[in-house]
Amino acid sequence: MTERRIFEHPIIDFDRGEEFYFDFEGRKVKAYEGETIASALYADGLTKFTESKKLERPRGFFCAIGKCSSCNMSVNGRPHVRTCVTQVEEGMKVKRHGAKPDFPEKDIGRGKDRTEKDVEFAIIGGGPAGLMAAITAAELGGDVHLFDEGADLGGQLVKQTHQFFGSHEEDAGVRGIKIGDDLVEEAKKRGVNIHPETKVIGYYEDRKIAVERNGRFEVYQTEGIVYAGGAIENYLAFENNDLPGVYGAGGVQTLMNEEGVVPGEKVLMVGSGNVGLIVSYQLLQAGVEVVEVIEALPEIGGYQVHASKIRRAGVPINTSHTIVKALGDEKVEGAVVHEVDEQWNKIEGTEREIDCDIICLAVGLRPDTGFLRQAGCEMEYIPELGGQVPLRTEEMRTTERSIYVAGDSAGIEEATVAALEGKLAGVAAYEEITGKENEKTESLKKEAKDGIEKMRKGPYGQVPRQGVKTCTVDEEVCG
Amino acid sequence: MSESAGVVVIGGGVNGLGTAYHLGKMGYSDVVVLDKSYLGYGASGRNGGGIRQQWTSEENIKLARESRKMFEALNEELEEDLEFYQGGYLVLAFDDEEAEEFKENVKRQNRLGVESEFLSPEEAKEIVPELDISQVVAATFNQSDGTIYPFKVIHGYANRVREMGIDVREHTEVTDIVTEGKEIKKVKTDKGDIKTDTVVNAAGGWSSGVAEMAGAEIPNVPVRHEIMVTEPFERFLEPMVISFKHGIYFSQSEHGNIVGGIGNPDEEPGINQKGSLWFMKEFSDTLLDFVPRFSSVNMIRQWAGLYDTTPDAQPILGSVPEVERFYQVNGFSGHGFMVSPMVTKVTAELVLEEEPSIDIERLRVERFEEMDIEEEGAVVG
Repeated sequence: MTERRIFEHPIIDFDRGEEFYFDFEGRKVKAYEGETIASALYADGLTKFTESKKLERPRGFFCAIGKCSSCNMSVNGRPHVRTCVTQVEEGMKVKRHGAKPDFPEKDIGRGKDRTEKDVEFAIIGGGPAGLMAAITAAELGGDVHLFDEGADLGGQLVKQTHQFFGSHEEDAGVRGIKIGDDLVEEAKKRGVNIHPETKVIGYYEDRKIAVERNGRFEVYQTEGIVYAGGAIENYLAFENNDLPGVYGAGGVQTLMNEEGVVPGEKVLMVGSGNVGLIVSYQLLQAGVEVVEVIEALPEIGGYQVHASKIRRAGVPINTSHTIVKALGDEKVEGAVVHEVDEQWNKIEGTEREIDCDIICLAVGLRPDTGFLRQAGCEMEYIPELGGQVPLRTEEMRTTERSIYVAGDSAGIEEATVAALEGKLAGVAAYEEITGKENEKTESLKKEAKDGIEKMRKGPYGQVPRQGVKTCTVDEEVCG
Repeated sequence: MSESAGVVVIGGGVNGLGTAYHLGKMGYSDVVVLDKSYLGYGASGRNGGGIRQQWTSEENIKLARESRKMFEALNEELEEDLEFYQGGYLVLAFDDEEAEEFKENVKRQNRLGVESEFLSPEEAKEIVPELDISQVVAATFNQSDGTIYPFKVIHGYANRVREMGIDVREHTEVTDIVTEGKEIKKVKTDKGDIKTDTVVNAAGGWSSGVAEMAGAEIPNVPVRHEIMVTEPFERFLEPMVISFKHGIYFSQSEHGNIVGGIGNPDEEPGINQKGSLWFMKEFSDTLLDFVPRFSSVNMIRQWAGLYDTTPDAQPILGSVPEVERFYQVNGFSGHGFMVSPMVTKVTAELVLEEEPSIDIERLRVERFEEMDIEEEGAVVG
């Protein structure tokens, strides 16, 4: 098996730690300090990570961010460990166990002790929205705790090697990875208590949040919450869509730009929105061949500038095309696509096979709002914002007292809006909880609101602008 | 637009759909089943799937025994694998008083044809080797008890019932039951009115509200009960394990997940289906006392449903004094699923004015005024 790690990259310098070995089913596998178990195994050539429960179909590395359970394995005797969010360690014993492992033979001895703490502000999610909310509330003097399930903060920004343009004055022309790093630095400087690798797993009444850290359960009693949990990738229905090798664009970005591991050799990209176009370009940067980009709509969805870049690199973008089948038994060995007319009907005689080992889905995002639903926030389905979103005030407060939302969880828009919403939610939450409203808070809110307004006036702001109108309610409605 | 139906069943859970199924099986399909949400939104879709015949009252033992037999035949009838796994129920006693009661219970159950056994703690440990028996005084076990997958039963019923020409409507909320004198005239819903003279109240935790709409009174009170599920494992736990003293129950589903709950004696009555932190802690702490090795296992979901409780923890069946042809099949106090085959058959028989398969006189609502009530003592969770 060829090495899947990326050692030379035009933009990213993968600063790998020490090289060591761990045990995978009785075999020594190489890893570098800082890698996750799943990425070390993927780099070593593993494609089948577990099996589906009923039909025992192979399951591969899919979401890369701890959400899909397709990479669960036994680690040092503990079953159901999400290997994509667990750092590999020297000498670790890792074993696949399919969907149903044996009941663990030893008691790992977690006992009944639990941590319970009181905090003022809990910010959930360390992407641009959550970081800005945390920075802003801390700058005003709040006791702020920021929770993120990943080891590194920055959300999706840290996977973006391209330069942002046009929008946020300070950040235009800066690469995503840099913006993410800067925000994390700023948060630290402002005294935000950062809790990495800490997954918020539930909301309990009276603004308590439950988190999991190192396999243990902890509870935080909060006074105010800003939820900035981001988005979930949409999936697409086609035959064999569960084969290892069918990945979400976010998973591919994580693997490639955070872990420094290429997903495969030949990629079919499905979807020509900005994510599809940008990830195609990132694949090229990482030395991976993109055989084709297909798009079901008659036009390319993303910015022309991104489309031109990959076309110049020789990647064809075929609109009015859809995927109907992934080929292969244990992993992707090709795909079947055909053309569609404007009513989405198949055009006979256009079916063809594509030679690829990776099918990357970039077919949109939907807001991740499970936490807010659990907290009792009123939700509404707003297609312009990508799905179910919470009703909220202009200042990002949901229908539940002291619970705020920002970023993609409030509706799918781009990173600058997310950051500005975070800033707005951070100030508004601070005002509500501390009762302190002053010139400073007013001016911060104005800055954020003006920025958001400006963004939504742009050509790609029209659709979300419409959606936001529908889900924005008066203070009175929110109670 | 006004339409009509011979029978309107309120509640798309196991007892509403079961009643419709038996009506259909008896050749009567002029039935509409209504649910204000999705099928199984109430306790039918939120319970632990336990099927137990080890009860204390004669009524419950008989209902459970007959229902167990009917569940055994239901796979074939519904053409669906309902995942009925008869790994038994292991009931643990933690003091001598409980042990004495268990002895009596076993005698009564054996007399009524339920083959339960009285066991020593060591015999209990043979059935569940992981069990910590240091505090256990005795146990009872009945092999033909077990667990079933509730959603498969609900959807199995719904599919068969629809094939029989019965109308099952989700997201249709009953807003009123119009009566004239003692007669039912129509059922009003948020999607229009249905003329009918017969209503079956199978609304679970919402039953007393539905009765009120018809001008009838039943003493049912909804109380939240919570439940959780862990990650899946190869089967290592055969029976459902329960303790009345701790209010806990847990079993392993056919999918491999441990499913279990614990009752909160201080729970405030009312309609509340949110998961609580109290449950999370209390259940996991108690579970670790029973099986310490569970500390290696993660809970993946918790949720809550409503017990539709009555003063004697026994169901309410049959008609009511205030209104004619208004049949109750509710008040199950946490064990409505396991007795559903028999109680729904009897309800269908009452609706069609046929001789009921079992005597339900002691389960009518009038018992709360007329008779001495015998409280069911074997309620868990």
